[in-house]
Amino acid sequence: MASVTLQEITKQYEDVTAVDDMNLEIRDGEFITFVGPSGCGKSTTMETIAGLTLPTEGTISIGERDVTDLPPKDRGISMVFQNIALFPHMDVYENISFGLRLRKYDQEEIDRRVEEAADVVQLEGMMDRMPKEMSGGQRQRVAIARAIVREPEVFLMDEPLANLDAELRVHMRTQLQRLHRELDTTIIYVTHDQAQAMTMSDRIAVINGGVLQQVAPPLECYNEPANLFVAGFIGSPAMNFIEGEVIDDGFQSQYTQIDFDPETHGVTPGQDITVGIRPEDVFLEEDARKAASPTKAFDAVVDVIEPMGKEVNAYLLFNRDVEASAEGRGEGQLLINLAPDTDIAEGDDIRVVMDRENIHLFDRASGDAITHSLE
Amino acid sequence: MSEKDQADLAAMERTDEPDLDRGIVEAWAAKMISNPDRAYRATFYVATIFFLVTTLFPFYWLLMVALTPRNRLSSVGVLTPGGFNPGAFVEIFTRLPFHRYIFNSFLIAVVATVIVLLVASLAGYVFGRLRFRAKNVLLLSVLVTSFFPPAAFFVPLNRLFNRNIDILRPLMQDGSLYNTPYAIFIPLSALYLPLSIFILMTFYSQIPDGLEDAARVEGTTRLGALFRIIVPLSAPGVATAGVLTFITVYNEYFFSSLMTDGRPQSWAPMLEGILRFQGEFEVLFNLMAAASIVAVLPVAILVIVAQEKIVSGLTAGAVKE
Repeated sequence: MASVTLQEITKQYEDVTAVDDMNLEIRDGEFITFVGPSGCGKSTTMETIAGLTLPTEGTISIGERDVTDLPPKDRGISMVFQNIALFPHMDVYENISFGLRLRKYDQEEIDRRVEEAADVVQLEGMMDRMPKEMSGGQRQRVAIARAIVREPEVFLMDEPLANLDAELRVHMRTQLQRLHRELDTTIIYVTHDQAQAMTMSDRIAVINGGVLQQVAPPLECYNEPANLFVAGFIGSPAMNFIEGEVIDDGFQSQYTQIDFDPETHGVTPGQDITVGIRPEDVFLEEDARKAASPTKAFDAVVDVIEPMGKEVNAYLLFNRDVEASAEGRGEGQLLINLAPDTDIAEGDDIRVVMDRENIHLFDRASGDAITHSLE
Repeated sequence: MSEKDQADLAAMERTDEPDLDRGIVEAWAAKMISNPDRAYRATFYVATIFFLVTTLFPFYWLLMVALTPRNRLSSVGVLTPGGFNPGAFVEIFTRLPFHRYIFNSFLIAVVATVIVLLVASLAGYVFGRLRFRAKNVLLLSVLVTSFFPPAAFFVPLNRLFNRNIDILRPLMQDGSLYNTPYAIFIPLSALYLPLSIFILMTFYSQIPDGLEDAARVEGTTRLGALFRIIVPLSAPGVATAGVLTFITVYNEYFFSSLMTDGRPQSWAPMLEGILRFQGEFEVLFNLMAAASIVAVLPVAILVIVAQEKIVSGLTAGAVKE
């Protein structure tokens, strides 16, 4: 158990900056997830913590020790890799005991620890199997056993569930949470899947372009995203964004108008802003009482309906002249989340309201959040 | 459609192909065309038998010569010996210490192979797995070295090894490397290094990065990861490089004969020993043949052993994750 501190970590490759001036304090015993799109620098950040790559600048401490220049083996960490990385020429026992044997533990101690670790991940009776004789999930459990057997201070996991099928992934997700509860170790977890980040973590560190965007508990990232990137990345389906301008008595975009007092919400008339609203915070006019504080209703046309079972996703257009964009949700389109029994059909003209309590305002130039509620 | 075309069409539709009924060859050809698998199998056997005969027949003939008593050497048949004299296989060790020649060659080959595998492993790791500036220039210069004919290095090396070097005095009697095994395996190791570097580089570069990272996190250094994970997983490549180096050095004649005076105690190699059966007035062909067969045995055994290693299931799917 140990805290991990990153101070001004920068990793510069010849042509790109993979990590840019990252400062992060990871608490003792915390389950923190680095999340971001592919190539955002989250894996590089983890590799610098592991010691597999050396940062160009900055210092890393684990516990009270400065480990910036220590090789991986002396950092008191263990790691689970995306491609599992079991040693193919060793059986399960040899794989799990590899680190202990290198550290010259005595045989009894090794046997006891391997047995304990195998017990935690339910691998009893598979000790003499070779990795290639095992299923993906079993290999993953061996990799986890290999990581926990050394009782590391910090546990690093680089997309450990990425190569598993969907059902197994959900199962392993709960397993990992249980593991964290049992081991009570600091766990740093890297994923590009915001669902994994949301469900497992104590805190999420959202990274984009090598820069830390927000570090906060999952629900805070969801409800109070620090900027446009976090707002768009966390949550599925993603938040709706409407670009427009602040006017004297509120917000004006090409298709909508929302009334509020600019002064109380820290914006000035003429400022370019983006309004963010999550799909579940938009309601049909007749359901307006479900919103804590509905805006006035505006017209929309139902474009596409996606029944999901427990809910219905409806893609709306603000009027019949809007062209549906081929790439993502374009200007003039709005995704809303409705109860499964809602009676609407594609092509219907409807009227919708937004919940003012959950309207986010972002400064378009900087991308930073201005407010998370218009109440 | 002309009349001729129609006639051709009609001919194509006929199944009995009367034109091919005329002789044995035509009948055989027709059979092969209708059953290509047979043709492939026949070709395979023909090629295999041809290959086996051309490679194994010289050995067989060597045996025939070795078994023929010396005074009847002129009557060796194509397939039968001119007599039966297995004593030649004993005589080669009594007339000359031929075992010492074999031991010399064997030891030099083993040492050279170990040196080559060690150095080429390190170089192969660096070239195959690390990214650094001037990598291609370095790799190219290694390659260029291997293109030089060995003779180009001979004169300077021979001068060097014949010189008395003071710092070597405590190690060598006269401070010179001439007539020592060092004079043979040092240049030979260097000459055959590039090939092994290339073989090992290719194999090492294919081991997934994750395995090396995992080993380093688990507690090895980079060097430890190389010898505990990368080398065992590249067993076929290491075996290939090792066998090739061993065979080339064991069979090498040019350097090994010129760097010694040819006496067994001067670390003269096996080939030098075989040639010693060639006297001033007569050539003992039967002994030379017997010695050649004995000299081949270590290599033959090695190849058989290494081949099992290469084929063994250990490596099947080893690198796949």
